[in-house]
Amino acid sequence: MSTSSDDTILLGAVAYDPRVVTIWEGIRDHFQQEGASMDFILFSNYERQVDALMRGHIDIAWNTPLAHVRVQRRTEGRSRSLGMRDSDRDFRARVVVRRDAGISTLTDLHGRTLAVGSRDSTQARILPLYFLEQAGVDLARVKLLPFDTDVGRHGDTGTSELAVLQALREGVADAGTVGDLVWVTEQAAGRIDTALIDTLWATPPFDHCMFDALPTIDEGKVARFQKALFAMNWENPAHRRLLELEGLKQWMPPREAGYASLRAALDRQGLW
Amino acid sequence: MSTPANAAVAIDGGELALGGGLLALVRPALDLLAPGGVLAIRSRNAGLRDDLPAWCRVEHHDYFGVERDADGADRHLVARGGLGLPAGRREAGFALAPSAEGERFTAATVLSAVPFPERADPHSGFAPRGARVEPGGPRYPFTLTERDRLAPPEVAQLYDQAVAAHWDAARDIPWAKIPRLPRALEAAVAQVMTFLAENELSALYVPARFVPQIHPAYAEVAMFLATQLADEARHIDAFLKRARAGGAGVGISAATTSHSLLTLLEARDFTEASFLLSVLGEGTFLDLLSFIEKHAPDEATLELARRARRDEARHVHFGLAHLRHALAHDPSLPARFEAVVRERAARIPQKAVPAHVQDALTVLAAGDVTPSAIARGHEAFRGLLETMREGRVKRLENAGLDREQAERLSELHTPNFM
Ligand SMILES: [Fe+2]
Ligand SMILES: [Fe+2]
Repeated sequence: MSTSSDDTILLGAVAYDPRVVTIWEGIRDHFQQEGASMDFILFSNYERQVDALMRGHIDIAWNTPLAHVRVQRRTEGRSRSLGMRDSDRDFRARVVVRRDAGISTLTDLHGRTLAVGSRDSTQARILPLYFLEQAGVDLARVKLLPFDTDVGRHGDTGTSELAVLQALREGVADAGTVGDLVWVTEQAAGRIDTALIDTLWATPPFDHCMFDALPTIDEGKVARFQKALFAMNWENPAHRRLLELEGLKQWMPPREAGYASLRAALDRQGLW
Repeated sequence: MSTPANAAVAIDGGELALGGGLLALVRPALDLLAPGGVLAIRSRNAGLRDDLPAWCRVEHHDYFGVERDADGADRHLVARGGLGLPAGRREAGFALAPSAEGERFTAATVLSAVPFPERADPHSGFAPRGARVEPGGPRYPFTLTERDRLAPPEVAQLYDQAVAAHWDAARDIPWAKIPRLPRALEAAVAQVMTFLAENELSALYVPARFVPQIHPAYAEVAMFLATQLADEARHIDAFLKRARAGGAGVGISAATTSHSLLTLLEARDFTEASFLLSVLGEGTFLDLLSFIEKHAPDEATLELARRARRDEARHVHFGLAHLRHALAHDPSLPARFEAVVRERAARIPQKAVPAHVQDALTVLAAGDVTPSAIARGHEAFRGLLETMREGRVKRLENAGLDREQAERLSELHTPNFM
């Protein structure tokens, strides 16, 4: 089997959903057609995946922003970023409120209940809380109602964000924090009662997932990986199925500027 | 941010929120635009300033920003992105409905306005012909995807005729007008009906196997076959009712018939199956039904043979049209047909009409069992075989085969008629 060959790119991904198997088997087949031998290893959480990357057990890790900045820190900034989804760029988080809660400014959150997502969710907890503080909210005066679901998956499943919206719907929270992907797709699907729930505030933009490699990765693997990855095309039905499952329309080259706020948030919140 | 000077389409979203129904205006408006075309959205909902750019990002439309109209409303500008664009041209300007009351709105009218494509794309699935198809759908296992092998232009007219001609075997046959016939004659009628029903069952099953292979771009072919299946269902029903209506009951099923019909069921190619079933088999049955009509001992038998024959004429008509159309585009077909007919003949061990069927047809034509009547019945049966042979040759020539080949194929045809 090709996996025993030195040329094989070994990729790590976290199995946050059974579909992850379908996605990576499909991408592996596509890589094969592009002449790039690739295989994958699935992890149950990002901490284990980052460790495996650091020990050289895998060549490339498909990382959340939290895992990405941790890899950069552990490699003293020398890790290689190889690519991201279009949907990973300019992500924002939202503070949404019940219309009947009488919250019209950010400081109105003082004394109120704010539902937040998992403690390792960049979009539903870490960054919205960081940006709220930057905007003048005293978090000590806000009652946080956390939904720590799927810890270790870094918010990938979106379940904690759906729990936040449910808490608002049921009135157990006055406000909540969600990523704008969940907020917009839930609205577009007609699952939000806009007479009940409204946006109060959108955070500044930040970037999301990234393919990470160690600085020592073979240049040939990098070239084959990027060539095959960027050859995936939305108009090709076989590719589109995989892209839709993975939540993108187009793979993009890496960029780093979008992670500065997350580093600052981890400093501030002591989450490194 | 580059702001386009003019929006091609403008909508007024009032106070609608993104998740409060606004997208029901935005999405259809964007569908009117080519990639890069600009939509202006007037809105008095402040939440859109955040939600619309986020939605555009997810859907890959370009959000150009918001301006303030003179009256204070927001004016968002969005350019249609290039991804997920449905292929094909928007259908517009059709007004096919008849102008006069009582005038029929036929499938043939629709087909002439929206003709069959030469080839169909298996990725368009069950999308109706004319629909703009979003890219990225799965591939469907339709194997009949070429107009010239499948879809003669007459098919819509035949469909229209078939729908208009449907009848009811419970109501439209004068069942009460079956007299008590001499036992031998009633038994002969019942045996003929048994034979007809058995063959008609194959005529129900064989085309049904091909319906799921037909690409929906040629839906009229599948729709015509659906009328044919409904016809056969009615025939089976009516023939079995007649077998049981006069006291004799269902008769004998012959091994010859069984061998012959299995070869039909196992035909793998639609054109070959249509040739064997509709042109040779149902064509031969036209003469058989005329014979039964001519010698029917009662009004019910007469009426059901007459009605079935009219339906069968349509099935044969479609088979011939299909064949002529296919022959015009594939000169290798006659040789293939000959091979198929020879192969079929080799698989049917018997060389004569099933004995029970021959005897029943003889008695039916005799109308009695006296030797002189039977002599007339026997002559009539021999005449039927000759009529069938001539009819087959004529139909094969009509389909486009030369005379010599038509005679060879007719000779090789199954002794089971179908
Ligand atoms: Fe029939
Ligand atoms: Fe028929």
